[in-house]
Amino acid sequence: MTDWLGMSVPPRTPRPELKGRVLARALARRRRWPLAVAAALVVVAAGVGSAWWAQRTITALAAERDRLAARVAALEDTVSSFIHDPATRLVQVPVSTGGRVGSVTIFADSARHRWLVRCDGLAPNARDQAYQLWFVTDKGMQPAAVMAMDRDQPMVMGLPLPRAGEQVRGAAMTIEPRAGSASPSGPMVFHLEL
Amino acid sequence: MRRLKARDEHALRELYEALAPWVLGLAYRILHDEDEAEEVVSDVFVKVWRHVHRHDPRRGPLVPWVLSITRNRALDELRRRRRWWRKADRLGQAQGPGDELENPAPHEATVPGWPLHREVHAALATLPDELRRVVTLAYFEGLSHSQIARRLQQPLGTVKTRLRAAHHKLTDQLAHLKDWLE
Repeated sequence: MTDWLGMSVPPRTPRPELKGRVLARALARRRRWPLAVAAALVVVAAGVGSAWWAQRTITALAAERDRLAARVAALEDTVSSFIHDPATRLVQVPVSTGGRVGSVTIFADSARHRWLVRCDGLAPNARDQAYQLWFVTDKGMQPAAVMAMDRDQPMVMGLPLPRAGEQVRGAAMTIEPRAGSASPSGPMVFHLEL
Repeated sequence: MRRLKARDEHALRELYEALAPWVLGLAYRILHDEDEAEEVVSDVFVKVWRHVHRHDPRRGPLVPWVLSITRNRALDELRRRRRWWRKADRLGQAQGPGDELENPAPHEATVPGWPLHREVHAALATLPDELRRVVTLAYFEGLSHSQIARRLQQPLGTVKTRLRAAHHKLTDQLAHLKDWLE
C-alpha cells in the first residue's frame, strides 16, 4: 500500500539544469575509471621507481660500508703493529694548552721508521693558528706535521721519519700560523729528548 | 529495467524524464525546500543507477521502489534537519492542517504517470480525515506510532488501529495498480 503513496503527491517540474547535474553525477563513476586507472599507474610507477632508487642506494651504501670496514681493519692492523711491536717505544708527554692539561702519546717504531702520534686534551686553536709537530734531529728541527685543532677531540696520525742520515733524537710541538712554518717560531708546547 | 541493468545510459535519461517530477514532488512534499528536494533527486537517481541490480521485480515494480528510495532519503534529510530547532518552526508553519492533500493542477495532466497519481490521490482522499491524518504523519513525516500519538494527543492504541484500517482500505483500492514503466 505505502509503496504507491508517493504517487499521491503532485509532480513538480525540475529546473532544466538539474537534469545535467544529476546525470553527470550518476554517470561520473564510470567515467572516473580511466582517471582511477591512470592514478593507479602513477602510483605503481612511483612505487617501482622508489624501489629501484632504494635498491641502488642500498647497493651503494653496502659498497661504502665494505670499503670503510676494510680501511678500519687496515688501520687497526697498523695501530696494533705499532703498539705491540717489540721495536716500538712508547712515550707520553703531558702538555698544557690554553689552561688545559692534555697529553701527546708517541709510539716510536724504530724498525719501520715511523711514529704514531695521539694527541689528547689539546685546546682548540685560534682560527689563524695550528699546532705543529717537529722531529728533533742532529741537524736541527724538521717539520713533522701541522695539526689544526678546530674541535675538542683526540687526534691520531701516522708519521714517516725523516730520510736516512738524520738521526731523530726527540720531538717538539709549537703553535704556528695555520699554514705551518719551516722552522719553529711560536710558543713551545713541549720539547722532548727521546 | 533491463536496459538500466545493462548500463544503458539512455535508459537512465529516459527514467529521469519519466520520474524526476514525481521524485521531486515527493521530496518537496516531505522537505518543503526546493534546494534540499533537488539534492534528494540527485541522490536518488545516483542510487538507482548504481544499485539497480539490487531491485527484484518479483518484489514490486520499479516506480514504487524509486519512490521508496526517495521517501527514505528525504526523511533522513528531514530528521537531520529536525536536529536544528531553528528550522523546526518554519517546517511547522509550512505543514499546516490543510497541507496534506494538494489539488492536482490540470496543466500537469500531460506528465507521464498522471493517471496513476489521480488514482492514488483519490484513494487517499476517500479516507476519513482521522485515518488520512495518521497516514500522512507516518508516510510523509516519518513519525513513529508513539510520535503520532503524542502529536495528535491520542492513545497509542487508537493510532495503531487507525493506521491498520487505513492500510486495509488503501490496499483494497490500490491493489490493481501497475507500473507504467517497463
